[in-house]
Amino acid sequence: MQETQTRSSSTERTKIVHLPEPTAWPMVLAFGITLCLAGMVTTFALTVLGLVLAVAATVGWFRCVLPHEKHEAVVAKYAVTATGLTTHPPPRQYDTLHRRVEPYQAFSFVAGIEGGLAGGAAMTVPATIFSLAAYHSLWYSVNLLAAGGFVSWTHASDAFLSRFHLEGLLAGAVIHLTISLLVGLLYAAMLPMFPRFPILTAGIMAPLLWTGLAYSVMNIVSPILNDRIDWLWFIPSQVAFGLVCGFVINLRERVRTEGFRALPFATRAGLHMSRTRTRRKGGDKK
Amino acid sequence: MSTETAIPIDAIEEWRLPDKGKLGMICLIIAESAIFSIFVVAYVFYMGKSLSGPTPAQVLRLPIFATVCLLSSSLTVHFAVTTLEKGKTGLSTLWLAATVLLGGIFLTNTGLEWHELIYHDGLTIRTNLFGTTFYSLVGLHASHVLVGLVMLCVALAFGITGKLESHHAHRLDALSYYWHFVDAVWVIVFTVVYVLGR
Amino acid sequence: MTPTAIAHAEQPAPPATKKLWLEIAHDWITTVDHKRIGIMYIVYALIFLVIAGCEALLMRIQLAVPNNHFLSPEVFNRMFTMHGTTMVFFVGMPILFGFGNYLVPLMIGARDMAFPRLNAFSFWISAFGGLLLYYSFIGGDGLYGMGTAPDVGWFAYAPLTAKLFSPGHNTDYWILGIFLSGIGSVGTALNLVVTTISMRCKGMTMSRLPLLAWLYLVTSGMVFIALGPLTAAQLMLLLDRFLGSHFFDVQAGGSAVLWMHFFWIFGHPEVYILVLPAFGFANEIIPVFSRKAIFGYPAMVAATVGIGFISLGVWAHHMFTVGMGPAGNTFFALSTMLVAVPTGIKIFNWLATIWGGKIHFATPMMFSAAFLFQFLIAGLTGVMLAVAPFDWQLGNSYFVVAHFHYVLVGAILVMIFAAFYYWYPKMTGRMLSETLGKWHFWLFFIGFHLTFDFMHVPGLLGMPRRIYTYEADRGWGGWNMIVSIGAIFQVAGILCFVWNMIRSYRKGEIAGPDPWDAWTLEWTTSSPPPAYNYAEEPVVHSRRPLWDIKHPNDPDSDYE
Ligand SMILES: [Cu+2]
Repeated sequence: MQETQTRSSSTERTKIVHLPEPTAWPMVLAFGITLCLAGMVTTFALTVLGLVLAVAATVGWFRCVLPHEKHEAVVAKYAVTATGLTTHPPPRQYDTLHRRVEPYQAFSFVAGIEGGLAGGAAMTVPATIFSLAAYHSLWYSVNLLAAGGFVSWTHASDAFLSRFHLEGLLAGAVIHLTISLLVGLLYAAMLPMFPRFPILTAGIMAPLLWTGLAYSVMNIVSPILNDRIDWLWFIPSQVAFGLVCGFVINLRERVRTEGFRALPFATRAGLHMSRTRTRRKGGDKK
Repeated sequence: MSTETAIPIDAIEEWRLPDKGKLGMICLIIAESAIFSIFVVAYVFYMGKSLSGPTPAQVLRLPIFATVCLLSSSLTVHFAVTTLEKGKTGLSTLWLAATVLLGGIFLTNTGLEWHELIYHDGLTIRTNLFGTTFYSLVGLHASHVLVGLVMLCVALAFGITGKLESHHAHRLDALSYYWHFVDAVWVIVFTVVYVLGR
Repeated sequence: MTPTAIAHAEQPAPPATKKLWLEIAHDWITTVDHKRIGIMYIVYALIFLVIAGCEALLMRIQLAVPNNHFLSPEVFNRMFTMHGTTMVFFVGMPILFGFGNYLVPLMIGARDMAFPRLNAFSFWISAFGGLLLYYSFIGGDGLYGMGTAPDVGWFAYAPLTAKLFSPGHNTDYWILGIFLSGIGSVGTALNLVVTTISMRCKGMTMSRLPLLAWLYLVTSGMVFIALGPLTAAQLMLLLDRFLGSHFFDVQAGGSAVLWMHFFWIFGHPEVYILVLPAFGFANEIIPVFSRKAIFGYPAMVAATVGIGFISLGVWAHHMFTVGMGPAGNTFFALSTMLVAVPTGIKIFNWLATIWGGKIHFATPMMFSAAFLFQFLIAGLTGVMLAVAPFDWQLGNSYFVVAHFHYVLVGAILVMIFAAFYYWYPKMTGRMLSETLGKWHFWLFFIGFHLTFDFMHVPGLLGMPRRIYTYEADRGWGGWNMIVSIGAIFQVAGILCFVWNMIRSYRKGEIAGPDPWDAWTLEWTTSSPPPAYNYAEEPVVHSRRPLWDIKHPNDPDSDYE
């Protein structure tokens, strides 16, 4: 039997522990059942032997538990500390206090909505310039966006798309607003995660990334858009969205998260701040 | 680091956990239900798909008496547990004996039914799909009744020799769960085989 | 290191009286201690891992070049049947049950499993089932009286398994061996559920349960529901073969498709039975090596339970090529894709746990990182195959083989390796060598990607699974050669691992009770733990009891 290591500094105790008595009957029963089945594919004699073993083992097993479970007593020597846990000194500790890193402050949903709306508005500027420059029409880009929603527009001509269509304006506006709001909310959630180089990450890298994503899936989502889109113009409009959206979100005050409430009182009271993530502001503003 | 500066062990008031035996039995019942449900699905899937006779309508009779016996044995085993919990070991033994008797009647009845089907109606497990699914489903149930009966007999033997005590009640209770399960399965088998399948 | 320090770590018997071999054997045969049974499970699974790995190697040698005649077609059939059957039933299940047996009682502060004797019985009957299956190599007789081992594939589709098409007894060995192991699996699963619910120490509420215990709880629940159908279907097949009943006999109106349904009602949840414990290992290892508490504990539990439920309703995605009609195809395609939601939640939670942590790339963490990456890819090809028309094209091709090996090897086996590096010190009292561990990791990582990344390609080119050789003009030769070369790297990695385990058992650095500065209860007791686990029943106040002890001024219980 094994002994627990003890430490001289804590109180040593001994104690009798009752453990179930070792027994071979479960193994014999398993063997018996196996032989029973093995007899089906070999000779009948094995089945008989297996049955005998299984019955004997069942009886033996029952006698281990009925009427009372059999125990063996084991002496436990151990050291007990005031915690009530039998412990040993933790030999290695990688860290000092290091708790989960949650942002203590975050942007509210409202900030995300505002940012999304502002970004969406900013995005229309390069898009409209593109529309005017390439097709001399105010409505071309709106209709192109809306075309994904109308099956009948799949083979529409440039001239058709340059004209004003009410349903095109409505559909384009709905698609544009929905996506802008969703991305705005995503920005509000993710901006605190990029404290360094916010203009680069949120303003430029993120739009480039999703442009790449859009480039690869656009053929499936909206073939007509894929055919006629000018990716060189697409990128500036996305960057415009990223910069403006991030800027607007950053103007809003941050709200305190649950993580903040979990901070020690001294930190909350502003007596001392811990580490970089409470550093103020990390948005597009320099 | 010192472990001496410690969290105080506040007495966690009442730490109650479910009974091991009953929980184990419930787990076993879930596993067994999965097996039974597959056999029931196979029975329903092959209903009326036999290529040759005899059909269920020609040979099956409703086993009303056996069903009443088996279902009432659920009650008797329940009484056996409640009386044992109250410490009336003699009465408990009596209820156990009644349970074993009723279960025995059911099993005998199944045996007689099978004898009739095999030797009079010529239905075996090889005859057709009905024979295949009928014998396997009813046989699986009967084998469970048999196992339950053996366990009940062990309990009865303890009762007769006077070794049954009230602190064994939770074990008998676990056994009674199994017996109730066997009864519940019979309700399904009865409905599927003798009512819907005929 | 002084000679006295190199003491026998497993059983520090008094040095004067060395135990006889017979006594040691007696101790292990009669033991009802969950730790010893766990170790027996693991060792037995490792032995079968080597055997089934050798079978895979033989197949890879055969397939490396076109028109090869290294194995005969008959032997090849036996090899893929035994490889699949062994890996699932006699490696995957026992090794995971072994870890569960060892860890769950320790983690919840219990002295032993709820039913120690049933535990021993479950192990032994699974072990004997494996031996019976492998006895078929000697005792089985199959087609034309010449076959030996089972050769019907691991899912043994009807009507190939009918007495007419598989005469002799080798298919019966397959049925009986798995039937026995099934009894053992249900026994152990029952034990784990009851232990987790009824044996928790004081203060260990269900919301403080270590996630590993939660995952074993859900896995065990799935074992009940999944193994029943397999056992039932096997009983039917046994009746067909021995008593001449007609369950799967098409001549008498029986249905071969019914077997497919029954098998996959078991077969799909089985994948999750194997992968959930691997998730459990990740849940314990990733936080410790990121030095952060797990992110989103309740979401993790909910996702696990969600996976458990959804996975019971997706089985027929293995049967798209059978022709179930548009309604069936649509239902099973959509339900299968639904699995990606809770699985995605898990992946994001692991990433969020790592995010912002102080990551220590010890060997267990390296394997965990590989797991995250590989499991993601496996999940993506899984979603691809869930699209019914895609599956019509690639069903039964090497693309499918590559996909599920990505799950079974890339996720499960890799996490099992991580678990070995993490808990070996607890089980033996000695650390595994980090140097050898790194060799193991890199060799295995390279080998895995050579084999299973490139295995997708011949599948896309139309190579069906289970063919024993192919013509040179198909263009599969080069790809198969790369796949086989990858296998060599994997073998080299595994050899490092085996050597590491043997060497470290005697010469490894002494671990002490808590070598990783971890937070769950098992690290409070000595390594290896005494027979009684805890001399006094522990009391816990949070999900990380050991954190509370180490940081009495800042306990977790203030935050939960
Ligand atoms: Cu599946």
